[in-house]
Amino acid sequence: MTDPPATPALSVRNLHKSFGPLEVLRGISLDIAQGAVVTLIGASGSGKSTFLRCLNHLEQPTSGEIYVDGVPITDDIAGLRARLGMVFQQFNLWPHMTVLGNVIEAPLRVKRMPRPEAVALGRRFLAKVNLLDKQDEYPARLSGGQQQRVAIARALAMEPKVMLFDEATSSLDPELTNEVLAVMRDLARDGTTMVVVTHEMAFAREVSDRVVFLHMGQVEEDGPPAQVFGAPVSPRCRQFLSSVRA
Amino acid sequence: MLDNFYRYVVLNAGLLGQGLLVTLQVCVQAFVLGVVLAIAVSLLRVTGRIPRAIGTAYVEFFRATPVLVQLLWVNYVWPDLFGFPTTAMGAGVIALALQTSAYLAETIRAGIEGLPRGQLEAGRAVGMSSLQIVRRIVAPQVALVMAPALISQMAVVIKSSTLVSVIAIPDLMYAALKIVNEWFEPIEVLTSTAFLYFLLIFLISLAANRISDRFRARFGLAV
Amino acid sequence: MFARLGQSLDPALFWDYRATLLAGLVVNIGIFVASAMLASVLAVAIGVARTSRNRLLRGVSTLYAELFRNTPEYVLLVWAYYVLPLILSRMLAHKLAIGPVPAAILALGFAYSGFMAETVRAGLLAVPRGHREAALALGISHFDILRRIVFPQALRRMLPDALNQYVSLFKATSIVSLISVEDIMYQVSMINVEEMRPLPLYTGAALLYCAIIIVASQTIQALTRNWHRRGWA
Repeated sequence: MTDPPATPALSVRNLHKSFGPLEVLRGISLDIAQGAVVTLIGASGSGKSTFLRCLNHLEQPTSGEIYVDGVPITDDIAGLRARLGMVFQQFNLWPHMTVLGNVIEAPLRVKRMPRPEAVALGRRFLAKVNLLDKQDEYPARLSGGQQQRVAIARALAMEPKVMLFDEATSSLDPELTNEVLAVMRDLARDGTTMVVVTHEMAFAREVSDRVVFLHMGQVEEDGPPAQVFGAPVSPRCRQFLSSVRA
Repeated sequence: MLDNFYRYVVLNAGLLGQGLLVTLQVCVQAFVLGVVLAIAVSLLRVTGRIPRAIGTAYVEFFRATPVLVQLLWVNYVWPDLFGFPTTAMGAGVIALALQTSAYLAETIRAGIEGLPRGQLEAGRAVGMSSLQIVRRIVAPQVALVMAPALISQMAVVIKSSTLVSVIAIPDLMYAALKIVNEWFEPIEVLTSTAFLYFLLIFLISLAANRISDRFRARFGLAV
Repeated sequence: MFARLGQSLDPALFWDYRATLLAGLVVNIGIFVASAMLASVLAVAIGVARTSRNRLLRGVSTLYAELFRNTPEYVLLVWAYYVLPLILSRMLAHKLAIGPVPAAILALGFAYSGFMAETVRAGLLAVPRGHREAALALGISHFDILRRIVFPQALRRMLPDALNQYVSLFKATSIVSLISVEDIMYQVSMINVEEMRPLPLYTGAALLYCAIIIVASQTIQALTRNWHRRGWA
């Protein structure tokens, strides 16, 4: 696969992150093309989640540059975050707001959108994740899978350039995992640019355009799924894949 | 300021020291009496419906009335009503003990109710008698939960004890106010007294927190 | 004993002095409201400071909370009444007096701000980190996060505890008579000087306080249960 000539949606240059003496990310560079679906795989502790959290500065990178749509991120962290949607393992819905309230909060506060417009937008994205009928419920009354779909709608409502998924299905029961993966599959088909940290190898293989294997905070293997899963170059990647298959 | 400190605090150290001794005397007596009463009320509350109602009324009444009001009540009304206490010291000790017993009885109740039922059932399942269950399973855990609560109650007693000066018990507060009224120089004396009380109460609270943390770490108890 | 109590608990005595007693109760309520407001404002500021990332801010606010939590209210009251005006006068080089009512409000307000700051801190810490992170990830500002995400949740968690603190504060207002604020206990003592009938007067005062506090705390318990049922608190 060749990169399209257009500007990458997201560019990362030489990203480093240390927690005290522990260096978790040791210089990661990646270009994520417009509309690409990239999955990050690797053993726990390989730095996948830290990498994702560094992208929107939930963790402050120690060094390195991030470009969204070719524009470098310098000090407008809130602006950066508004252009990157993030979905968390623990959903993190705000329990004191209704489902719709959760989805329209950021458009109202960050984009200062008028309420009717925000409501219309929120309802559109709730429809997209198939939860329009739950708009007035409080999160506590929803199943885990439904909560995660609301969290996806909440991130989409900011119409971000790139969606980041941080182990979005890891705290769900298997039967609830599928409904969330189905929504993610739909997004991929619609051409949403996505960076997905996941343990779901089947999803990585079927849905993504590109699979990146991280090891000890570095990119160890990077290529289309057929290559990474079929004939990985790196012996560590081979070892990892055989351990998750077993 | 240092000059005043010397003149009003250091030269009156004897008087203040005596006051502190009276404070400690009142507090220790009230505390011991309070613990005894708390155990008695707790036993009352598990013996039957009417005793439980009486015990609960006792606890509610003494928790819902300010210490000062109880102090004046015991001091002025009890001798007429019950024929005792006959001294201010007695009234001070009783009033503080009543307050303490009501709070501790609540803690004991919460400690017993907080025990998971499964533990009692597990005791029964291995064939222990009710007495054995109380003695070997309930009491030790309630005691563990109670230990920090007992210590912090001691801090509460010292705080409340400042009020016994109102019925002319010569405690630390009384001594300090006496010096103030004699010389009309309140700054050094009252600030030193406040600091002394703070230190005493702070150290006791600190000890309670330490013990609470240690128990939580060692036994996983939610104390 | 109970017959004796019944005989002496002469309702006519209270009826005769109803205006004075009521005026005293109004003073208690006024001091309660003012010191509760002072305590709440200080407690929110100190509670937020105690969860701050800034070490100095955290240290100073912890010291503040410990100082006021561990000093007896009566000592603070006397200190605010006698010492505070002298110190302020010296600092401002200008003679300054603090009346008994403001002294009482200051002493109780500061004392309870120490307790309530703990309640605020616990409420803030109980809001899961992920809820803030989700808001940060959407680009919501720190101020909006505190206002829209953290405070509404923290408030629900701390409300039962805070209401109980208010009840304690009301109980504590009984000591203001000791610096000659003309509250209900002051009036009871004055009437006693005139009538020399401590038994009905002090028993009545105790029962009155008891009734007010029990009604207040039962109401709070009922409210809290209701909130729990609705999954609020």
